[in-house]
Amino acid sequence: MSATENAKAVLRRLTAASATERILISFAALVLAVLVGAVIILVSGRITTCQTAATTLFGTGFCYDPVEVYLVLFNGALGEPFLLNDPALFNPGWNPLNFGLALTLKETTLLIFTGLSVAVSFRAGLFNIGTQGQLVLGGLATALFSFFVAPALPSGLVGGLVLIPLAVIVGALVGGLYGAIPGALKAYADANEVITTIMLNFIAAQIAFVLVSEFFSNPDSQVVETTPLPGWATLLPVAFPQGGDFSILALAFGLALVVGVWFLLEQTSFGYDLRTSGEQPEAAEYGGVDAKRTTVTSMFLSGALGGMGGAIWVLMVMGKWQAGVPALGFDGITVSILAGNNPFGVVPAALLFGTLKSGSLAVQFGTGVPKQLVGVLRGLIILFVAMPEFFRMLGSAIDLEPDRETVATDGGALGGDDE
Amino acid sequence: MSTTTIDRLRDTELSYRATLAGGALSVFLLIALLGLAFPSSIWGNLLAILTSRSTLSSALRLSVPITFAALGGIFSEKAGVVNIGLEGLLIISAFTAVITTAVVGPEMTVVGLPAIWIGFFAGVLSSVLFSALFAVVCIRFKADQIIAGLAVWLIALGLAPFAATVYYGGVNTDNLGTTLGTWTVPVLSDIPFFGALFDADPAVYMMLVAVPASWYVLNRTAFGRHVRASGENPKALDTVGVDVSRVRYAGVLLSGFLAGIGGSALSLGLGQFVGNNQTMVNGKGFIAIVAFLFGNYNPVGAFGASFLFAGLEAAQIRLQQVPGYGVPDSLIQTIPYVTVLVVLALVGRTRIPAASGEHYDTGDDNR
Repeated sequence: MSATENAKAVLRRLTAASATERILISFAALVLAVLVGAVIILVSGRITTCQTAATTLFGTGFCYDPVEVYLVLFNGALGEPFLLNDPALFNPGWNPLNFGLALTLKETTLLIFTGLSVAVSFRAGLFNIGTQGQLVLGGLATALFSFFVAPALPSGLVGGLVLIPLAVIVGALVGGLYGAIPGALKAYADANEVITTIMLNFIAAQIAFVLVSEFFSNPDSQVVETTPLPGWATLLPVAFPQGGDFSILALAFGLALVVGVWFLLEQTSFGYDLRTSGEQPEAAEYGGVDAKRTTVTSMFLSGALGGMGGAIWVLMVMGKWQAGVPALGFDGITVSILAGNNPFGVVPAALLFGTLKSGSLAVQFGTGVPKQLVGVLRGLIILFVAMPEFFRMLGSAIDLEPDRETVATDGGALGGDDE
Repeated sequence: MSTTTIDRLRDTELSYRATLAGGALSVFLLIALLGLAFPSSIWGNLLAILTSRSTLSSALRLSVPITFAALGGIFSEKAGVVNIGLEGLLIISAFTAVITTAVVGPEMTVVGLPAIWIGFFAGVLSSVLFSALFAVVCIRFKADQIIAGLAVWLIALGLAPFAATVYYGGVNTDNLGTTLGTWTVPVLSDIPFFGALFDADPAVYMMLVAVPASWYVLNRTAFGRHVRASGENPKALDTVGVDVSRVRYAGVLLSGFLAGIGGSALSLGLGQFVGNNQTMVNGKGFIAIVAFLFGNYNPVGAFGASFLFAGLEAAQIRLQQVPGYGVPDSLIQTIPYVTVLVVLALVGRTRIPAASGEHYDTGDDNR
């Protein structure tokens, strides 16, 4: 049995665990990550220097107060509905359509795409770590396509209605083809997709950099970026303030995709093939599934979703492609793992992670704790979700649910209570 | 699987590797031939780069982190734990080594030990501790090894720039103003070309010792036998009364120790930790995985592959300095990654240890 098949066996066990158990594990992992994060905040508060201690515990002063950090984080992500350190508590000037919330929803929208991308591949038993690269190239394709086609179209609403969907499709195609490369390498050369996708991330970043800096750079800019697109060719903010770079249309599209991916995975024969080759590869082969083709198609689909994420990043956030693409693809891994690789689970997981990312800016501004904290939490969440056994042992150690013994031994695979 | 099938598999593997090694050699010979025939062309430049002493010395230096991580990966995976978090171990040790040296004070000496060596050992220790966490998560808590390995990588990728920002206010550390330096062997270092072997970073000597030592431990000692059995047939090992979990812990900790040396040497060789994007480690941990797959879990083979990748990197850096070809640097920088991809596609069918990645339950150690 190869390592990949073992990994598949674990994925199988993860998906076979009941939905309630999965939600409990994700929740427990989150709480634990937040707690460990608090310890890290405290420790780093001892490393840095400050005038007055933010909090004092056990007679020792700390520069950062973890409780305050998390409060500022959530408050900032919602656009400060609460007045911290004020008896009035509620901020009378709070408007739901604010900048902070726009930032949160912007991140959420992007993470829905990358989270779905990772979820599709993980469900097929393939560890696509390459969503980042697929997003980088998909986004670039969208930016270049829009830039060259825009002059041929009437500007304004009509042009936008024609151009934007086409640009998203182009991004999806390029991302999908780039995702199909590791799929084909896996299917026909048995090359481990974890390594190939990571290598392809590096290659994508360099190729995109060369293409833009050598051929398509913006002549008016020192930064490596493409020429900005006209406003009508991008997804402009609706209802939310201008600077938040959030378009409710993109979120609606993302949510529609969630339903679409769910339907594809759960209600179609292709989705059945995909899931069985992820969960029970031998059974899938025996049942006549063309494993090689399913691998390539799944990776194409996963890459296409990543590419769409890149397209939305270009059209909604930047209005151009710029070097130094944020690590949305890696965050997508966290989102998908937190969601138990379930399309519907991706939405709350993306919202949660979007909140963390947007709130981290308020944290850096308000408390001085670097925004890189989110990167640490991202890893911790993945680590804790990966060890359900820990929580089961914890559960049986404190004897909360003595009846769960059967689940603890076999992962509940025989329970038959999965969706 | 019958013996004949295994033999056939081994033969195909051998022919794959032989083809690749032969391919690399013929590419080199082709460049040499063209370079000698047209000394003023790009081939002449390439030949000059490939045969220059400074390329050899930088290839050796660049191969240090890859080789050590690859040796670590061999011990871990041979023992039955797939350690995809090598990249994270390199990052954490590279960062800890620099920050410890900075905190101690780069010019200080503590009990006769220069600060930079204290930093070096602190880096190794941090990697060992981090790998211990990974081992507990994988062995005791039966986490999925791939996902836990990814977590190790992503935690390190977040933690190092975070801590650097807390301490320095930016993701890069300040330059220490000092490095590990070079140890020069008199007389031998004067040999043309190969003299680079005797005028090198201390970590290069460590690597040249660690490679045969790893081979010896793995193939000629009782511990090595246990490690191999733990990955191939844990049940048999259990039957003869050896604690499989303990062997696996040892394998993973050893991988942390070795990767830690690689990470410390990487950052202290430069005197700084660079934390933007993928940090200064920049995929070396993943390249290491390909290196030991290419080397078929043999420490010497893994070193050969690491040296090949590092040599490409060294040649690529030198090639950037040759003016007038108009090939963008960023494109040349993809050469090592593309090579890794091609190698992996060609040797993808490596036979990994049979029980690698599987949890082993003795049936009596739970709860």
